[in-house]
Amino acid sequence: MKKVILVADDSPTIRKFVSFALAMKGYEILSATDGMQALEMLPAEKIDLIITDLNMPNVDGFELIRTVRSNEEFKEIPIIILSSLTSKDDIDLGIEIGANSYLVKPFDSKRMLYEVSKYLN
Amino acid sequence: MNQPNNMNNLFDKLHDLKSLFIYGEKLVPIIKSLVDFMKDTVPLLENINHSIADSTSKIPKATHQLNNVTSATELATTEILDLVDSVTNEVRGVEKTLKSFLITEEEKEKLLETLLPFIKDNNEALKIFEDYKSKSNTSNVIKSSFEALNTIKDQAYNITLSLQVQDITAQQLAAVNHLIESVQVRLSGLVSDLEVNEIKDFGNLSMPVPEGVSFDPNARYSKSDEGQQNVDDIIKTQLGNTSQDEIDKLFS
Repeated sequence: MKKVILVADDSPTIRKFVSFALAMKGYEILSATDGMQALEMLPAEKIDLIITDLNMPNVDGFELIRTVRSNEEFKEIPIIILSSLTSKDDIDLGIEIGANSYLVKPFDSKRMLYEVSKYLN
Repeated sequence: MNQPNNMNNLFDKLHDLKSLFIYGEKLVPIIKSLVDFMKDTVPLLENINHSIADSTSKIPKATHQLNNVTSATELATTEILDLVDSVTNEVRGVEKTLKSFLITEEEKEKLLETLLPFIKDNNEALKIFEDYKSKSNTSNVIKSSFEALNTIKDQAYNITLSLQVQDITAQQLAAVNHLIESVQVRLSGLVSDLEVNEIKDFGNLSMPVPEGVSFDPNARYSKSDEGQQNVDDIIKTQLGNTSQDEIDKLFS
């Protein structure tokens, strides 16, 4: 059975890049345009891993991670941050609230596949 | 006794008053110049006000055009990615076909070798066999085709990496848009303040980002992995380090 990855990013091109890189390796990709939509999709789908941007409208990536980590049902889902924010404060906060990995945009898809495979294979 | 003192005081006051009148006389032309200057300034201020109002009215068009640029590049990038996706799929298809072709060719070459004991005493047949073998170089051709296909896949991957510039420029344009909108709000305020003959000091131009808009004003496009290295350095104590060797191992 294919592993399902939820990609939350308000940029359609980034959603496309991530899908392009991961679908090639046999993962099933679901896309959300912001944290709110991602949270709505969580109960409806069986998600194995989340890749999220930090700067998003409505519910941002930090809030998405906090909500997932505080939910009994979803708190074990691995989360990878994919963001152009590179300040120490943002990175520390992301990891502190429960992200498992932090990737910087523009991202290297080989590195992304490596991080994904760490949690799914 | 008091009378002379009072008189002296009165003369002093009168002297002061006289000085004031003399000073006032000197001041009159200056005040007149000032009034003339202010009269000249009013049309100038009206002009400034008109220019600001004119510029302010053009700002929404500028921000709209910037949004159009973002949408157009987004669409073009998605289309290019679809094409790259399609090319990559085609390459994978060709690779698969070539692989099965290579297996068949290798089997044929093995079969050909089995013929050798039967013809080794027939010089003519042996010559034909050797000729055929030297011309039958299909396996090597297929193997070199795999290298070419790998190059195409690598280049396709590099295209996708370069196309991420769209996301970064979109964020930079969003930041510029936000700045322009902030200027518009300030200018609109200035126009209304000029109309009531009062100018305020606005100080800092920064404004809160409206809901539904998100961007990183510091987003930068770089092909070097310096940004990721910095992040890895920051989080390696918390999450452990990832070496390039480990990543390469996964793809070897």
